[in-house]
Amino acid sequence: MSVAVDSLMRLRQRFAGAGPEWLQSQRENARRAFLEAGLPTRRLEAWKSTNLAPLEALDFARIAPTGAATLGASLAASLPAGVRVRSLADVLRSEPERIAGRLGRLADPKQSALVALQTACLEDGVVIELDANARIEEPIRIRLNSSPDVYDRPSASFPRLLVLADENSEATIALDFGSEKPAPGFTCHVAELLLSPGARIELVQIQAEPAPRIHFSSVHAEVDRGARFDSSVASLSDGLLRSELDIRLIAPGAETGMNGFFLGRGAGHVDHYTTVEHAAPHCTSAQEYRGVLADHAKGIFRGRVIVRPDAQKTDARQSNPNLLLSSAASVDTRPQLEIYADDVRASHGSTIGQLDADALFFLRARGIAEPEARLLLTHAFASAVVEAIRNPSLRADLTGRIDEALGQLELAPRSGSRDPVRASRDGGSE
Amino acid sequence: MPNVPLIEIENLHANAGETPILRGLDLEIRAGEVHAIMGPNGSGKSTLSNVLVGRPGYEVTAGEIRFRGANLLEMDAETRAREGIFLAFQYPVEIPGVANNYFLRTAVNAIRSHRGQERLDAIDFLTLLREKMKLVEMPEEMMARAINEGFSGGEKKRNEILQMLLLDPAFCILDETDSGLDIDALRTVANGVNQMRSPDRAMLVITHYQRLLDYIVPDRVHVLSKGRIVRSGGKELALELEEKGYGWIEGEAEQAS
Repeated sequence: MSVAVDSLMRLRQRFAGAGPEWLQSQRENARRAFLEAGLPTRRLEAWKSTNLAPLEALDFARIAPTGAATLGASLAASLPAGVRVRSLADVLRSEPERIAGRLGRLADPKQSALVALQTACLEDGVVIELDANARIEEPIRIRLNSSPDVYDRPSASFPRLLVLADENSEATIALDFGSEKPAPGFTCHVAELLLSPGARIELVQIQAEPAPRIHFSSVHAEVDRGARFDSSVASLSDGLLRSELDIRLIAPGAETGMNGFFLGRGAGHVDHYTTVEHAAPHCTSAQEYRGVLADHAKGIFRGRVIVRPDAQKTDARQSNPNLLLSSAASVDTRPQLEIYADDVRASHGSTIGQLDADALFFLRARGIAEPEARLLLTHAFASAVVEAIRNPSLRADLTGRIDEALGQLELAPRSGSRDPVRASRDGGSE
Repeated sequence: MPNVPLIEIENLHANAGETPILRGLDLEIRAGEVHAIMGPNGSGKSTLSNVLVGRPGYEVTAGEIRFRGANLLEMDAETRAREGIFLAFQYPVEIPGVANNYFLRTAVNAIRSHRGQERLDAIDFLTLLREKMKLVEMPEEMMARAINEGFSGGEKKRNEILQMLLLDPAFCILDETDSGLDIDALRTVANGVNQMRSPDRAMLVITHYQRLLDYIVPDRVHVLSKGRIVRSGGKELALELEEKGYGWIEGEAEQAS
């Protein structure tokens, strides 16, 4: 066993026996599943491109709290009727029966070792309940901040989000993972969203914890008849990040939009793994993940689309355009379609390219300096993802965050792309 | 400096990629003048405009270009633009995701900063923008759209002229601005260009057809053939060309050499 596993298994004992019995046994089963599987290695197909060795080496000093601390005090006051946002610990204390059988229903420890680890270490989190027909206009914002621990020793956090959206309810939820200062450690986030018929839920995740923090996120949604789940992910970390999205469309008319923007920079490693399962006919999924890779960064996009035999009239679209801003950056993109029905519309496409030379020149020819022109075009590339977000204030926030991250890039001309007119004159007789 | 030409091109040789296109071109344009360059396809018209604005992929192998007496070839593309050189593109690019108004303000302010002028805030810029948009008859809603995205051919050309009006250049190059325009759009575009004529400004109108020159009347007309200017004259030269075709000049040029 690695140092990381040793220290986490020791630290979890503080709360492993807390809460209702069903939760204790969930934790215990997950612990066993995790110890059996161990941390994922590159021998596993799903982890071929991502090496978790930096995680194994961490000697954790603390499991940080993730519940009430992450909820703004003002939030509860301004919620409309039928909308409840509480810490998981709170719900477990006061009315655990509300979430029994639902917490852990989608996030299966047997399917993923990190989900198993998260469940084994599950202490607290956030529960959002939306009664039938409840609507909240303003986004529910949840900020998860991984501040440096005392003595800068690695800390781990295991936030869990549970969203129970009853019929025809509607909400936007924004999760913001960040840190004022780089903090060593591991954030291991799992979300479960259960959408009843007609519910409309939008989840926006900003994943921006700087290196050396390791970030893992696994979001699971089940979408019932006529419901719609929109996910927008912006991954702006310069460290090691893995972001999973797993959506099941279980009844006719279920829809999902999956949007992502990932920016890899420095020696960053950003890995996105999506799965959408069409388990019923007449469902729609549209995903667009856009990647920008700079410096030495590596990006990975793996998109699985599964269409079950019954899922006739499926409409499944997937697209993953990528922009490489440096010759040392790379991206590995692999769409994976598994279609078992015959009357299906499915499309996928991925591209890897550089900034459009004509567009770049056009902007320069209007007096805009090359680094600024590159920034403008890179931002434009990302904007498709931002535009997909419904709430205008979140859109503005995200635009700002992306600009801030892009502003840290070295966008000077790449070596070798000098203006040939000048180059030839420099090399001439002058 | 009324006696120094705004732009002086001397013995210009240039390649497009690996291919030699311009082979000893000489041209002088003074402030206040409008020159037209006409020529058949492949004569080097577009190479000339691209070399003037410093487009990558075009290599000057010999000769000089001076702009207000300074060596133009030592300036990068953005510096040329800031110094006052403007090319209205033959094929304006579409740039999804960059709003027209945001782009225009960024460009205007880049140029104003270079000239030591104060940057325009959003409100002052909007006032200026509205005034110039009227001149090219562009509806305001086009400004919130992405640069040229979904614009018709005529709208793209109007947008080029709008940029020219806003950036207030000293030397304007119009590269086949008439191509793909119907007669109404042509009039609007020419009207915008004529608004810009002034004693401090020079223009170079590059065109295949004489038609545009009915609307933008040049002081001088040059005929480009095989990378050199083979004939220069007044505006009547354009009409003569229209009548006799390019074969006439090219035949003469070959006999002379």
